[in-house]
Amino acid sequence: MSTLTPPVRTSADEHQETFKPPRYRRPLGIGRDQVVQYAVLAFLAVLVLAPIVPTLYQSVRNRPLYEAGGAFTVRGYVDLFTDAGFGEVALNTLLFAGLTTLLSLAIAIPMAIVVVRTKLPGGRLIALAMQWPFFISSLILGFGWIIMYGPAGFVSIKVQQLFGGVPWNLYSIPGMALTEAVALAPIAYVFCANALRQSDASLESAAQVCGAGPLRILGQVVVPMLRPPIVYSAILVFSVSIETLSVPLLYGQPVKIDVFSTFLYHNGLQSVDPDYTMLGAASTIILLVTLTLVAVQAKLLKDAARFVSVRGKVTRPRKLDLGWLKWVSIAFIWLYVIVGALVPILGLVLRSFTLVFTPLQSPLKTITTQNYEIVFDSDNYVQSLWNSLIVAGVGSVLVSALAVIAVMVARRSTFRFGRAVEYLALIPQSLPGIIIGIGFFWAFALAPFGMGSVLQGTIYAVIIAFGMRALPSAFGSVAPAIMQIGGELDNAARVSGADWLMTFFRVLRALVTPAFAGALVLTFVIMLKEYSPAVFLSSADNNILGTTMLSLWTQGRAGSVAALATLQIAITAVFVALAGLLMKGKHHA
Amino acid sequence: MPEVTVKNLAKTFGDNSVLRDVTFTIKDGEFFTLLGASGCGKSTTLNCIAGLEQPTEGSITVGGRPFVDASAGVFLPPEERNLGMVFQSYALWPHMTIAKNLALPLNIRKVPKEKQRTLIHDALDKVGLADLSGRYPHQLSGGQQQRVALARALVYSPTVLLLDEPLSNLDAKLREQARAWLKRLQEELGITTVYVTHDQEEALALSDRIAVMEGGNMIQIGTPHEIYERPAAPEVAAFVGRCNFLTGRVIGQEGRRYRILLDCSDDVVQVDSDERVPAGHSVTVAIRPERLEVVAQSGTPSHVNQLRTEVLTSSYVGSRYEYDVRLGDQAVQVLSGNGGLAGEVVLVFDPAQALLYQDKVELPEEQRDLLTVTS
Repeated sequence: MSTLTPPVRTSADEHQETFKPPRYRRPLGIGRDQVVQYAVLAFLAVLVLAPIVPTLYQSVRNRPLYEAGGAFTVRGYVDLFTDAGFGEVALNTLLFAGLTTLLSLAIAIPMAIVVVRTKLPGGRLIALAMQWPFFISSLILGFGWIIMYGPAGFVSIKVQQLFGGVPWNLYSIPGMALTEAVALAPIAYVFCANALRQSDASLESAAQVCGAGPLRILGQVVVPMLRPPIVYSAILVFSVSIETLSVPLLYGQPVKIDVFSTFLYHNGLQSVDPDYTMLGAASTIILLVTLTLVAVQAKLLKDAARFVSVRGKVTRPRKLDLGWLKWVSIAFIWLYVIVGALVPILGLVLRSFTLVFTPLQSPLKTITTQNYEIVFDSDNYVQSLWNSLIVAGVGSVLVSALAVIAVMVARRSTFRFGRAVEYLALIPQSLPGIIIGIGFFWAFALAPFGMGSVLQGTIYAVIIAFGMRALPSAFGSVAPAIMQIGGELDNAARVSGADWLMTFFRVLRALVTPAFAGALVLTFVIMLKEYSPAVFLSSADNNILGTTMLSLWTQGRAGSVAALATLQIAITAVFVALAGLLMKGKHHA
Repeated sequence: MPEVTVKNLAKTFGDNSVLRDVTFTIKDGEFFTLLGASGCGKSTTLNCIAGLEQPTEGSITVGGRPFVDASAGVFLPPEERNLGMVFQSYALWPHMTIAKNLALPLNIRKVPKEKQRTLIHDALDKVGLADLSGRYPHQLSGGQQQRVALARALVYSPTVLLLDEPLSNLDAKLREQARAWLKRLQEELGITTVYVTHDQEEALALSDRIAVMEGGNMIQIGTPHEIYERPAAPEVAAFVGRCNFLTGRVIGQEGRRYRILLDCSDDVVQVDSDERVPAGHSVTVAIRPERLEVVAQSGTPSHVNQLRTEVLTSSYVGSRYEYDVRLGDQAVQVLSGNGGLAGEVVLVFDPAQALLYQDKVELPEEQRDLLTVTS
């Protein structure tokens, strides 16, 4: 047995060979580890504060920041609530966000329960189908809904023909809320489904043994345990719908319903002489609201950990049988998937291949590739396609790398301000995209050494703004993956003589590559779909798919919009499929 | 080979103090074990020596070189301490071959390639794995991984070897063999070794000296023999080996010999001790099960201490018999060579074999319940 191999050497000749332990230079007591860690902290601080501080500053200056000679004023805040009708905007926002939250929970909670906890044919397919919002931006969903269910939409006209009237009006706050709820329901679904999967199935078995029927078990055992994820996802959905621009912009513009984000859009972009002071004040107030919501959410999540009934141990729950009710739930779920997502997207794709898209005339009659030709014939449109790809391609690499470094500093170093690094990386989550856009617009105006004018209106500005917006997602995807790598591997390298940096480059780099790749795919898709920060940063040169689609839409060129949207969906799908294949191959090697 | 001096080491996390005023010196070439239950502070102490944790107070000096001195603001990062360490999980870098794992510390020390090859070969040879240098860690068994980890910790001739429960992931049989092998290797190399374990048998078998820790305090430092035979505190007696605790009151004293009235059965026993306990004071008598003997009632009554008891359970544990006997309302464990006893028996022990501690030992409630015999 090899365990019993006797040690052959004697100690005498062994210990003459001693090696100099490694030395690392520390001028003024600061090693290169600290230099890097402080640099990461400083970079993140500048990145995150760049859009926030100028916004706060602008809100109390009476002239635009790029003009000299401004003075302090509170006029912005006063005007907001007197002249500008901001009160009505706030009310609309509250209604819209509240209704969206209610509707998305009404969709998500029953769905999570029946999919996770009951016997349901095709449950896995449903779980897969719930991932659709990953591929489709809410802007594109909005286009799709208007094309199908809008006042002149395909379905609306068909219903008009059949019944002589359309019982819904998409261009209203309930219409907006329904569309947004369809887009956000999967978020709430994921939270509830995960909570249900983690909770202890024996609680249900216990109730079953006591003689409770499936419905009683669901009502008295399962649903009460869901309270934490419900509260948490409600706040999340609420804060996302406060900042969303797409659906309120598309639906609200024709009927003049304004919410926070569209208020900023209209006053900042569409007015001839924008009142930047008021814009700053409005942004500040909206920022306060979203930051408060995120703080509440973080607090709840912390407390929610106490509710987790069982962790770690995998329980395979016995699923409940609902009998005939299960067919009702299946119908409900597929109604959501088909009417909510599938029909609008298919409509959009069909629209992109036709000239006239209405039930009054067979769309096949006007089948064409002309919409695509228009897109590819125009240098501007092709440019925006390329810009989107460059922004997503370059941006995802940069953001994922930044996320890996930030996680390393925050979670895998003894850096004193590691927590601060983590918070900074996560703060952009609570910054509305449009405010990030406005904030950077002002930041470029203030930036020293003319750096701002170099960036303003370029694709780099878009990469910075989108990258910042994608950073929290990248951090969130990298952190758990890196935390799975045992900390003793770092310690072993440190004791062997590697400092923190060398530990990363010699040992951990290879191990974090999968986490990096995962973040890369995620952020590529996010940045390809993103557009709201760009509306304030765009120029003729740096249009991206989203801003181009938006301007084409206002020109009434729905065909080209549909073509660009279809292209964006196709690129996302191909990219995700390729990435999946590549990573699978790597895994086996 | 240097001496390790740890002085007044303390570590707090917020309000939670995990290490309190720990002081000890490890001699050159010594095999020194930190023994204690989980959460006692033994790993924190080891990590402080390694530099993976920074103590709140105190100092650590190795071979005259200050590693850390909290009051003087000295802290040498782990990479500059030139220590070798084996982790509980072995922490072999999974994407590197065995040879590459061993080469990394040598690369960092800028050892020439030629020299590296011989060193790596020698180190792997020492642990009997020279032919596996091209393998990846996951292709090795647990025992092999553990030896590779040891080779990696030794390949650059560190000044001190730190071992953090390196055997705890091996299965029982292999663990015993690995223990003996590790002991021989350490003696062969003569390297100063700090070993952390919660396994008292392991500690007794391997160590030159053991430090027993509990709740962040170091309660006794001594050779395995001292720790087992003369535990300085009831906690040590309870943790190292098994021990019966009988509470009582001193009712008389002649020189070193005390007469004690037991609480559980109102018997009077005689115990030898150097402790100075005034009459009437509460005490605890601690006796290890193997120092107790049970004899049938008809046995020769030549013993000083004879207690009437009744066998509750008896079991054969190979080589010995284990009895649970009832002494008043308390269950007492006895390991005996005498088999087949039942019913009324006499419990005997030598006054010199029992330990006397001042005050009553408060056993944890759960343990007390298990030892209380009703009816």
